[in-house]
Amino acid sequence: MSENAHNPHTGRDGDNHPEGHDHAEEHEPIIHEAAPSYYEILEISIRELLTEKGILRPEEIRRQIEVLDSRSPALGAKMVVKAWLDPAYRSRLVQNGNAAAEEMGISIYDNTKLTVLENTPGVHHVIVCTLCSCYPRPILGLPPDWYKSKEYRSRTVREPRAVLAEFGTLIPEEVQVIVQDSTASERYMVLPLRPAGTENFNAEELEALVTRDTMIGVALPSISN
Amino acid sequence: MSTENLVKHLPNDIGGTGSSDDKIHIFERDLYPWEKRCHALLDVLDYHKIVNTEEKRRGTENIGSEMAGKLSYYEKWIVSASNLLLQKGVLTPDEIAVKTAEVAKRYNLVL
Amino acid sequence: MKSATDYNPATYTVGEQVRIAMKFPVGHYRVPMYMRGRTVTISKNLGRHINPEEEAFGRNAGNESWYYMVRIPQTELWQEYNGPDTDMLEIEIFENWLEPIKKDIT
Repeated sequence: MSENAHNPHTGRDGDNHPEGHDHAEEHEPIIHEAAPSYYEILEISIRELLTEKGILRPEEIRRQIEVLDSRSPALGAKMVVKAWLDPAYRSRLVQNGNAAAEEMGISIYDNTKLTVLENTPGVHHVIVCTLCSCYPRPILGLPPDWYKSKEYRSRTVREPRAVLAEFGTLIPEEVQVIVQDSTASERYMVLPLRPAGTENFNAEELEALVTRDTMIGVALPSISN
Repeated sequence: MSTENLVKHLPNDIGGTGSSDDKIHIFERDLYPWEKRCHALLDVLDYHKIVNTEEKRRGTENIGSEMAGKLSYYEKWIVSASNLLLQKGVLTPDEIAVKTAEVAKRYNLVL
Repeated sequence: MKSATDYNPATYTVGEQVRIAMKFPVGHYRVPMYMRGRTVTISKNLGRHINPEEEAFGRNAGNESWYYMVRIPQTELWQEYNGPDTDMLEIEIFENWLEPIKKDIT
């Protein structure tokens, strides 16, 4: 295979960052009309073989892509804001994340168990998966590359405060940091603290503050943004 | 030096091994279409328990440390899926060889 | 009527101190190296689930076992930990990885 056929489609993540990248310049996805990489060819081949054998139907893949596309941090944000506004929902959410998601019409399609980690003025949670990339996909969508990266996965359990600082999040010494290594059957979402000064915000305005990163625990909701 | 640690300590098990010099590359990007298709494929294989999620994870770990270090996230997934479908007798090596050559030809590529 | 869990009750209770085994599976595992041999406190009983270490070899049903949330102070995990003594780490561990704390014989 030619070299230029290899690069644009690899989707290399932080597990294997090419050296010497200027990370500040890395935000734009590269759109190439280049030939598919070997791995894309393998993906097409496996999918077609399974379809030809009648093991999968093409519409199952298409439907699942639609499911993936329908999930984003907006769903988690709705749950968080409902918990902020409705104490009864908050306790149901902390008690049973799956039921609280499904009550809002959000199916936990991957059959995982959702556990909500409640931040308090004295406790801050942050989530990492050191063994792979466990993530609450049904309510947050697919994880960002940095969440799957070697750097985040290898460092967060050992120096969470330094990692949080790289995200611009400084947690005071008097606040306990609890790192959740998500490695087995549960999936976690952080329920962040509602920021001060939002007493007059409506639900929509509050949802805008609840970003993906606040539900992973690497950021705090802030009205200054 | 003993090689037993290569067996006992899987390459994906990296918690606590990083140093503060390994800064986190914080950026956003959309998945490439093939990556999303690959994700959906493995989800559907899990729904049917043809390859479950945990088997797929095992498959991404059991590719040796060289591949583990060099392949991207979804590259590992599709290699893992291929190996597992072969091990389970769902696909044969030759079927993959013939099909990948055929797909490559559509794009005027030779593997 | 008795359920299966009445006959297979959880071995450990919330608040109890236990040790994570120092053992070495081959092929696949869900207990990271950095947790092996550590003394931890059970913070939550998470119920029963198929052990992912078995699921990874195609066992999709049956044989569920207890698993727990456990916690350990960061300062016990990492000698040079940079943060207050109250900082914690939590992780899920299946019962087959837990051992009662052995009392000193001397």
